[in-house]
Amino acid sequence: MTVTREEAVTALEEVSRASDRINTLKGYHHGAPHFIIWGLVWLVANTLTQFLPDQTNVTWSAALVFGVIASVATGVIQARRARPRAASSAAEARVSRRSGMAVAVVFAFIACLVVITRPETSRETNAVISIVFPFMYMGAGVWAGWRLFAIGLVTAVGIMAGFVWIEDYYPLWMGLFGGGSLIAGGLWLRSA
Amino acid sequence: MDGPDEIIHQSMRLRIAATLNALPTGELLEFNKLKAGLGATDGNMATHLSALEKAGYVAVEKDFVGKKPRTRLSLTRAGRKAFDRHVAYLKDLLDSGG
Repeated sequence: MTVTREEAVTALEEVSRASDRINTLKGYHHGAPHFIIWGLVWLVANTLTQFLPDQTNVTWSAALVFGVIASVATGVIQARRARPRAASSAAEARVSRRSGMAVAVVFAFIACLVVITRPETSRETNAVISIVFPFMYMGAGVWAGWRLFAIGLVTAVGIMAGFVWIEDYYPLWMGLFGGGSLIAGGLWLRSA
Repeated sequence: MDGPDEIIHQSMRLRIAATLNALPTGELLEFNKLKAGLGATDGNMATHLSALEKAGYVAVEKDFVGKKPRTRLSLTRAGRKAFDRHVAYLKDLLDSGG
């Protein structure tokens, strides 16, 4: 059997494409539970904000603590599954550290954004903070796969449409549509 | 330089092997996901998987999830070695200007 240079080039391109496809799938499966966790956070916290507006600070503090702990724990479990046992504790520590740093970076950015833009109502605050995340997903999606981009786009459009057209029931809209789209997106990523 | 692996070199079998090789060792991929990812038909996949399985390159595991049958695939140790050798051969061929 002989293989020509052209056949070799084509074959290596196929190998590279197959590897890229699997890496995209791995990224989707890795991201899926995080989307579901934060979708639940949005759903529950926004819905409670709608019906218990006096408890907004308590609701969001508890929801964010839950989201961060659940997300970091999920990242550690994923690292444990992905690595051989001998390397797992070092990998877990690294993932915990990086997850914690990533959360801190995002929260610091949002804090700066709120200080600079000075939203005047809870509705504006909600929209300013929430709009950060879908654009992060879209940015990541440009590199990591179109499904991430699509989830970000749908969520961003929903946030903006609600902000423009929905006044009194904005938190409920954000809970049902924003949270719902993240949960549905997570399930969609898991099914890839 | 080793020669090409005649079983793996066929286009669809190479794509199957490359996909399974990209998975971590011990991880399995569902038949339907592999088929969808490669844009292949059931018949085409079955033919090529059978050749890879007969060569000892692919392991096929069948079980049930509830009442639904599930077929999952992985590249065996021999399959990974053969794939790595074949890719090394292709790269050598290009590097040597052959």
